[in-house]
Amino acid sequence: MARVEIESEVTGKVWKVEVGVGDQVAEGDILVILESMKMEIPVESPRAGTVAELRVAPDEPVQEDQVVAVITT
Amino acid sequence: MSWEEEVREIHRRRHLAKQQGGKEGIAKQHAQGRLTIRERIDALLDPGTFEEQGKATAIPDYDEDDEFLGFVPANYVVGFGKIEGRRVVAGGEDFTLKGGSPNAAGLRKSVYAEHLAVRYKTPLVRMLEGGGGSVKGGGRRGGTVGEPVFSAPRFRIIADAMARVPIVSIACGAVAGFPAGRLVASHFSVMARSTAQVMIGGPALVERALGVSMTKDELGGAAVHARSGVVDNLAEDEHDAFVQARRFLSYLPSSVDQRAPRTPGDDDPERMEEELLGAVPRNTRKGFDMRAIVRMVMDVDSFFEMGATYGRSQITALARLDGQPVGVLANDCRVYAGAMTAEAAQKYRRFVEMCDTFHLPIVNFVDQPGFMIGPEAERKGTIRYGMAAVCAAVQAKVPWASIQVHKGFGVATAAHYGADAYVLSWPSVESGALPVEGGVAVAFRREIAAADDPQAKRRELEEQLRAGRSPFPRAESFAVHELIDPRETRPALCSWIDWIQPLLDDLTGPTSFPIRP
Repeated sequence: MARVEIESEVTGKVWKVEVGVGDQVAEGDILVILESMKMEIPVESPRAGTVAELRVAPDEPVQEDQVVAVITT
Repeated sequence: MSWEEEVREIHRRRHLAKQQGGKEGIAKQHAQGRLTIRERIDALLDPGTFEEQGKATAIPDYDEDDEFLGFVPANYVVGFGKIEGRRVVAGGEDFTLKGGSPNAAGLRKSVYAEHLAVRYKTPLVRMLEGGGGSVKGGGRRGGTVGEPVFSAPRFRIIADAMARVPIVSIACGAVAGFPAGRLVASHFSVMARSTAQVMIGGPALVERALGVSMTKDELGGAAVHARSGVVDNLAEDEHDAFVQARRFLSYLPSSVDQRAPRTPGDDDPERMEEELLGAVPRNTRKGFDMRAIVRMVMDVDSFFEMGATYGRSQITALARLDGQPVGVLANDCRVYAGAMTAEAAQKYRRFVEMCDTFHLPIVNFVDQPGFMIGPEAERKGTIRYGMAAVCAAVQAKVPWASIQVHKGFGVATAAHYGADAYVLSWPSVESGALPVEGGVAVAFRREIAAADDPQAKRRELEEQLRAGRSPFPRAESFAVHELIDPRETRPALCSWIDWIQPLLDDLTGPTSFPIRP
């Protein structure tokens, strides 16, 4: 079982969290939607797996390269 | 009496030069997963096309008692060869000898690589591995020290070559010091992810100077340089790097004095992709895949992106339109809405200057919300780099076509139009001095504050202004050449490619500015 840390590509804030801990996700599924420069920026799962951790909540600020979620595959 | 004996000696010397660092040196290189310079040259070039220069260069080696031991080959190999039938110069350090640090004959040949490329008007491919100068070897008894005061600057040819011929640098192994400088003095640089590091000074120097202990990979591995912009692209291994080098050169002329090679178009110029109609969402908060749009418009499989991991809000790529090589600029709205960050601006300026140097027409897919704003952007001096990008664009001499795809706001938008640009507009475009959302809050501050329901007032004003942002009045006023159905983009651009052919004939020769690293 591998743990995959998923980082934000941008600085912004969390708009919506689309999954919960324990959810099964497929590659390309949207985990979190960020808002940055007035655009919705989806953070997608790079692989299929299970959501192990969500490290952000709505309205929280996010920095570039910050880990927003962890999935296990 | 013939000269048979001397001829035998010539052949012996040539044979000797090919022994490189000997069986042991070569085995060590292979054990670390890296090719030797002669293997690299063979892998890069069309088979059997290498014509080496200075086949017998070597330096005599003496032991401590000045007893002659034999000859050591020059540790830089250089010569002509062909890529897709076109002549290039290829060269690189022989790391199996003295760690690639130049010996006397090797240094001469390495500096000659640029001279050769400029003299014969051919592209140059450098395959770099080595650490530059060494304190060993210098200052032995007797003789002169340093370069004569009247000698030409040693790096002059490296600078001059950039304005004359396409230069590709490949980091094959650890590259530090002067070789690292040569790496970036290029139009396209790529590093082999598995075997290369790029550093100004390696771990030993860093530890001594700063007291920090780091590995070569931590200092200058692929992960570092994907974000630093020191290399344009990462390659999986050396072979992938050679493939990328060959691909890059296929879009470029052999020198600034020639036109880029137009291949027979193998894709229908009239092709219209249905998907383009809905490619940009009506909801302006939703992002979309700009690369997919560009790929649909360009000749099939001709999209070659450079620098994708640096300044990511801006896409820079080479591609073909009806067989004509073009430079592609496009914004990626999924990263900071496509805003021009300090990094994106530097990448942009360098790319525009490269296209200008080699007279490649520019096709620009515009979705520019403006310069990046915020504390980080101010700290990075974004406006200076951004304005440099604007200056590069407005002074560019190459034919320029801009497709207004989505947004076009602020001063940064000026970077997306060269002089006499051919401007096409999609119905999805929204443009002006400031985006409606932020702009309304600034321009109508008092009116909004005085309203009974300030939020409602703001929304009402935004709606009013947004209605006025329709692209139709701009088309009616001839502020754009054509307002088009997005599906018509490829046919329209292919026609433009045909129109600009006489202009491209006039552009060959050096530009009025020299491109710099």
